[in-house]
Amino acid sequence: MAPSKAEVLQGTLDLMVLKTLDTMGPMHGYGIAQRIQQISEDLLRLNQGTLYPALLRLEQKRWISSKWGVSENHRKAKYYTLTAAGRRQLVSEAESWERMAAVMARLLDGAQRS
Amino acid sequence: MIPSRLRAVFQREQLDRELSAEVQSHLEMLTEENLRKGMNPEEARMMAKKEFGGVEQTKETYRDQRGLPFLEMLLQDLRYGLRGLLKKPSFTLVAVLTLAMGIGVTSAVFSAVDRILFRSLPYPDQERLVSFGFKAPIESAEFMLGTDYLIWRAQQTPFESMTTLTPGGPTGAGDCDLTDHNPTRLNCAYVESNFLPTFRIKPILGHNFSREEDRPNAPRVVMLSYGLWRSRFGGDPGITGKCISLDGQRAAIIGVLPADFEMPNLAPADIVLPQALDESRQQHPNAGRPLRAFARLKPGVSPAQATAALQPLFQESLNFIPRQFRKEVSLVVRSLRDRQVQDARLASWILLGAVLAVLMVACTNVANLLLARATSRRREWAVRAALGASRWRLIRQTLTESLLLGLLGGVTGFGVAYFMLRLFVSIAPEGILRLHQARLDFRVLLFTLGVSLTSGMLFGVAAALRKPSPELLSGRDVQMTARSILRQTLVVAQIAVSLVLLAGAGLLLRSLWNLENTPIGMHADNVLIAKIVLGDSRGLKPEQQLAFFQELEKRLRRLPGVTALALSDTLPPAGVMRSTIYALMEVAGRPRMAEGTGGMVGWRSVTPEYFSALGIAIVRGRGFREEDLQPNQNPVILSDALARQLFVDQDPVGKTMRFGNSGPWRTVVGVAGNVKNNGLAVPAEPEFYIPWKHNPQTSFRAATVCLRSPLNPRVLAGWVRSEAAGLDPTLPVEMETMTQRVGKLAQRPKFNAVLLSLFAGMGMLLAGIGIYGVVAFLVAQRAKEIGVRMALGASPLSILKMVLSHVARWTLLGALLGLLGTFYVTRLLNSLLFQVGIHDPRLLGAAVALLLAVAFVAAWIPARRAMRVDPVVALRYE
Repeated sequence: MAPSKAEVLQGTLDLMVLKTLDTMGPMHGYGIAQRIQQISEDLLRLNQGTLYPALLRLEQKRWISSKWGVSENHRKAKYYTLTAAGRRQLVSEAESWERMAAVMARLLDGAQRS
Repeated sequence: MIPSRLRAVFQREQLDRELSAEVQSHLEMLTEENLRKGMNPEEARMMAKKEFGGVEQTKETYRDQRGLPFLEMLLQDLRYGLRGLLKKPSFTLVAVLTLAMGIGVTSAVFSAVDRILFRSLPYPDQERLVSFGFKAPIESAEFMLGTDYLIWRAQQTPFESMTTLTPGGPTGAGDCDLTDHNPTRLNCAYVESNFLPTFRIKPILGHNFSREEDRPNAPRVVMLSYGLWRSRFGGDPGITGKCISLDGQRAAIIGVLPADFEMPNLAPADIVLPQALDESRQQHPNAGRPLRAFARLKPGVSPAQATAALQPLFQESLNFIPRQFRKEVSLVVRSLRDRQVQDARLASWILLGAVLAVLMVACTNVANLLLARATSRRREWAVRAALGASRWRLIRQTLTESLLLGLLGGVTGFGVAYFMLRLFVSIAPEGILRLHQARLDFRVLLFTLGVSLTSGMLFGVAAALRKPSPELLSGRDVQMTARSILRQTLVVAQIAVSLVLLAGAGLLLRSLWNLENTPIGMHADNVLIAKIVLGDSRGLKPEQQLAFFQELEKRLRRLPGVTALALSDTLPPAGVMRSTIYALMEVAGRPRMAEGTGGMVGWRSVTPEYFSALGIAIVRGRGFREEDLQPNQNPVILSDALARQLFVDQDPVGKTMRFGNSGPWRTVVGVAGNVKNNGLAVPAEPEFYIPWKHNPQTSFRAATVCLRSPLNPRVLAGWVRSEAAGLDPTLPVEMETMTQRVGKLAQRPKFNAVLLSLFAGMGMLLAGIGIYGVVAFLVAQRAKEIGVRMALGASPLSILKMVLSHVARWTLLGALLGLLGTFYVTRLLNSLLFQVGIHDPRLLGAAVALLLAVAFVAAWIPARRAMRVDPVVALRYE
């Protein structure tokens, strides 16, 4: 059974956006939304609008920068790029996620075994 | 992050446009994708919107993230408030003007009294400066004698440093002449060498004079005041070292004083000189020069402690004062500020209090206006509350509006203050402490701002604290009794305050009237006065001075239309007068007074026509005659008061007396009526008159000429001037009429009375407007009730009576409270009043009657409107 539309936590959305920009290079908001949906294989359906406050927050923290440009379909769109500080943040946050995942796995594994 | 948010607040529109564009483009891309998936355009768009989520919600969240929500809400409130105020221009105009009047007048008065009451003196560390010395009835301010000063200086403990000045300089008049190519008379101050260091004043050019230069017969040096340096010497930066001719002698300029320099006794000073106290001569007891002494206290020492510390030295000094005078001498150490401010302090606080009362009445009016406006908006608020606005949000908006109103009132008020201050300064008499320094400066601006914001808060809070009830949504008229009680309370308070102001103004006006109509003992009309000061620079001996005045008298007698002409060394009703101590007067055949000084007795040297020129009655014996001017005659004329004091019931004519140890024995030839010689408010000091001729006890340095003549004084003055110029063209002659001279004495009380009356008038006007407003509101609110009554048969007159009975109730309650307030407050006025009891019932009754009249006039128009209510219309309004 596919999970229903899940509420995505703020911090995790930030991490997903940073990773997407890291992998795919500069993208506009629509592109980022599509990519996240694609990667999660449609298991994660977020209200695409919630992306924009998150993008603003990341821009205020200077982890991404924005510039107006033209999209593939010759449409005006705002492109977001990862900054150096953003890349550093991505690395550190990815590390803490993996540590957390490892701890959780051990905990749940232990719980199951006992 | 904060700066970018701040920027975003002000770039709102542009950023909103960008966000809309971005969101729009996202939606279009989603729609295209859906089209590609095979949906029809309608479905594609709908699905796109669904996938995006709520557009408006996204934008809201985005905006909150982007800007400073608190600031944005504040700006929104301000915009909304401003719009609301502009939509009701009549309300806004009345409120702003009312506030402007109250705040403006308060700021103007504050700027005038700030310098007196609050602002510090222009000396560094001025709190530690004190004035000290002996206090005795013979002198108005405390003084030191040279002898004692030198002893105290050597042995004192509480002061870091002491310094002195010689009041009036060696001549006693404090003037000196610049006798080079452009002669002028200036004001000179004579100070000790450590005067400037004690006050920590640094010259802006050159330096202070040294102790060596402060000795008698030292080469003369002077310091210039800033004003003199600029006006006469053109601000010459190389002025130090140059010489000027002062009183006929050369003196070197060694420094220039700063622009804010002032003497501690507030005497004008164009030139500052060493006082050259001859210290060797001061050693002889009873030869000490009278000085004014100032000191800087050591840190942590209070004036009271200093007084205690100086007691032993004071007791020592008392031993040198004749025993009979000792009881009347005391030691005084007081702060310099106290010395300067003493008389002005009470009047300043009273004025400030009065103007704050006016402000209170003004704010009450605006509060009532706001309450009325709030009532008409309560439906709007009920709707907003139902839509989810928190109570805090509504209160905040009301507060913002009233703060805005306060600020607008304050800004306009600042302009009003400017004109008010100019008005005050123009009608003010001379000598009001520091009035010329009053300016609308930064401090006043801050004060104004504070006052406007506080008033805004106060009446805003009053209007805001109402819970909008849901019933109002239906549009039915709910009786807001609580609110109308608040309004009525405010009106009662206004009336009470107005009564207090009225009573105070009435007392001052009555006192002024008494003062101006008090008999002065002479006929002051048609008398022209010319004061001529020969000064010392001409190096004239007393005989030469006398000859000059005799020649002048001869010339002036030739003028047409002169009924009487007299010379005197001084003139009543106030000012300088020679005086002696009562106890030093000897009557032949009687022992001298044993204890005490007996007070001061004034005396004048006058020509025979003096009494007829001034219209002074001779009650016993005769006036002076030409024969009395012979060298061997020594008559004296006593004033009535002195005659009674010296001779009680006996006839003084024929008795012999003398004053001072060296004077000749004089025969009393007459008694003159009392003339006010110490101001209008105080009974006349006893005095006596001696003839205008050469004697060792007087000098003729200056003389005043009195001319009685029916001619136009200006014409007469011109002739006098030309006659004086004929004798000596460089001699300054000061002229005024006796009426002007007497009028000057009433100037200060007149100023106080005029100001307080102005404030009382303002208060009454504002209270009247307040009453009008509340009655109008009441009538409008109860229009339905009135309609019902009239439909049931009440006559218009009974409606009128009902309305007026309300007004009467408030006014009487307010008057009662006001009377109570008056009893407390007018006690403060006591020292300013002349022959007026503070509980004068006629005055208070008149004030209450005036207030009642104003209240009824104010209520008349809306009351008449109540009478004209058409019951049909009123009842239809459901």
